[in-house]
Amino acid sequence: MTEAAAPAGAKPSGPAARLLRSTTRLLPYLYAAVGVVTVWWAVVLIAKPHMSLLPSPLLTAQTFVQLVASGELLSHAAYSVCRVLAAWSLAAVVAVPLGFAMGRWQRLERVLDPVVELFRPISPLAWIPLAILWFGIDEGGKIFVIFIGTFFPILLNTIAGAKNIDPVLIRAGRILGCTDDASLFRKVVLPAAMPQVIVGLRISFGTGWAAIIAAELVAARSGLGYLISNGMEVLRSDFVLVGMVTIGVLGVLFDAIFRWVDRCYNWMGE
Amino acid sequence: MIGPKPNLAKPLSLRGLAKRYATADGRTIEALLPVDLEITPGEFLVVVGPSGCGKSTLLNILAGLTSPSAGEAWVGDIRVEGPDIDRGMVFQDYALFPWLDVIGNVEFGLERKRIPRRERRGIAMRYLEMVGLTDFAEKRPRELSGGMKQRVAIARTFATEPSIIFMDEPFGALDALTRRYLQHQLLRIWQQHRKTVVFITHSVVEAIYLADRVVLMTARPGRIKTVLRSNCRIRAIPPRTNSAQSSAGSTPIWTKNW
Repeated sequence: MTEAAAPAGAKPSGPAARLLRSTTRLLPYLYAAVGVVTVWWAVVLIAKPHMSLLPSPLLTAQTFVQLVASGELLSHAAYSVCRVLAAWSLAAVVAVPLGFAMGRWQRLERVLDPVVELFRPISPLAWIPLAILWFGIDEGGKIFVIFIGTFFPILLNTIAGAKNIDPVLIRAGRILGCTDDASLFRKVVLPAAMPQVIVGLRISFGTGWAAIIAAELVAARSGLGYLISNGMEVLRSDFVLVGMVTIGVLGVLFDAIFRWVDRCYNWMGE
Repeated sequence: MIGPKPNLAKPLSLRGLAKRYATADGRTIEALLPVDLEITPGEFLVVVGPSGCGKSTLLNILAGLTSPSAGEAWVGDIRVEGPDIDRGMVFQDYALFPWLDVIGNVEFGLERKRIPRRERRGIAMRYLEMVGLTDFAEKRPRELSGGMKQRVAIARTFATEPSIIFMDEPFGALDALTRRYLQHQLLRIWQQHRKTVVFITHSVVEAIYLADRVVLMTARPGRIKTVLRSNCRIRAIPPRTNSAQSSAGSTPIWTKNW
């Protein structure tokens, strides 16, 4: 018989195996951290820069502990995260439906595509001056900048996902009882495009997270970007470094969350 | 037990069905010249012809996925105007939904037919048993071989109990052995359920093996050349009582007489 039927997957399961797997996944990050700290410490020991230029890893760690204990770091991080979350959700609410519409209706795409292509190459950071003029230095301006930065990755990935659905799946859906557009969308188009939509959401969260720091560097009284720029003004480079480390760690953390969500919805396999 | 239900198969009449396309430079292409054909309930009709003879166009019109330029198709006393779950279709490239597991795929049409969740699972399992894939119910389509995917697609189509099943070169992408095996099994299932089947292929051997009647088409422009009656199958397949008995046991009918 030509029908090869491999028995069920050979991956070990159970909590112990899962713990082992996630520890194995974390190892590269650990190596990277150890490497960076080693180089950093070597530079400090050899070049002996002034404390306000490059503090030692130990001093930075102490500052980190202090900022955590005082609750300042948490509050700055929370401000940044909330801004990104708010703007990114807003962008998703607009870009996902628009992306599906553009992906499924060629006529709409032909009209809107030039507009998208025109605005897409403009960095969200280029919008910061206008954002400040239009919305002031309050939350509005920053949310606007992140909205711009997260909008296009979500939109373009959703369009691609909605457009590249295998036509035979659409035909199969119609044959199997999805005779109206609404049910066809819900049962076939949406799940078929889902992996690509999630890619867009993940990428855009990354760009949003990078852009919020820039926006907060320019105009803010809170947030990790503010912690960094304020650190520079008061010559506390340990504040700057704590801010940077926090940005990196949170970035990796969010990406891990997205990858986990992706695994749950991605039918294309690992 | 899955058994043939009375009154399920319906006749299919094609009355002057034709399709022409307009090309970009303004010419018209006759994809299908007017076709008149009567397909009796429970008949296994195979359309055979070279690529470009309009056989897929014909099938898409009958399934309601494309509208004809002229003529009409009738299923029983209902005119074909769009796809309907009463007319099933098996595609060459399986068209399984990759985000659903095997049983989810079989349940898809049942859910659209508003069959309650609990009953759906049971019906889907019975049809998976019919194609010998109950052990693969929780697998994703990408974990299956081509032949197994097509068996899932066949189960998915039969599960909705359509009165007519269209098959668009369903075994075209399979290797010769798997192909032969599936042809054999398809005939067994068809003999149990007695659906009207319209089957497309470019293999004359497959056509003669499967069909009650063979419709031979020629290309450019696509039209029917001859209609032949085939009796090869009668010799190839043991009497029907045999398959009815074997399906009563727990052993999938696939494994018997093979």
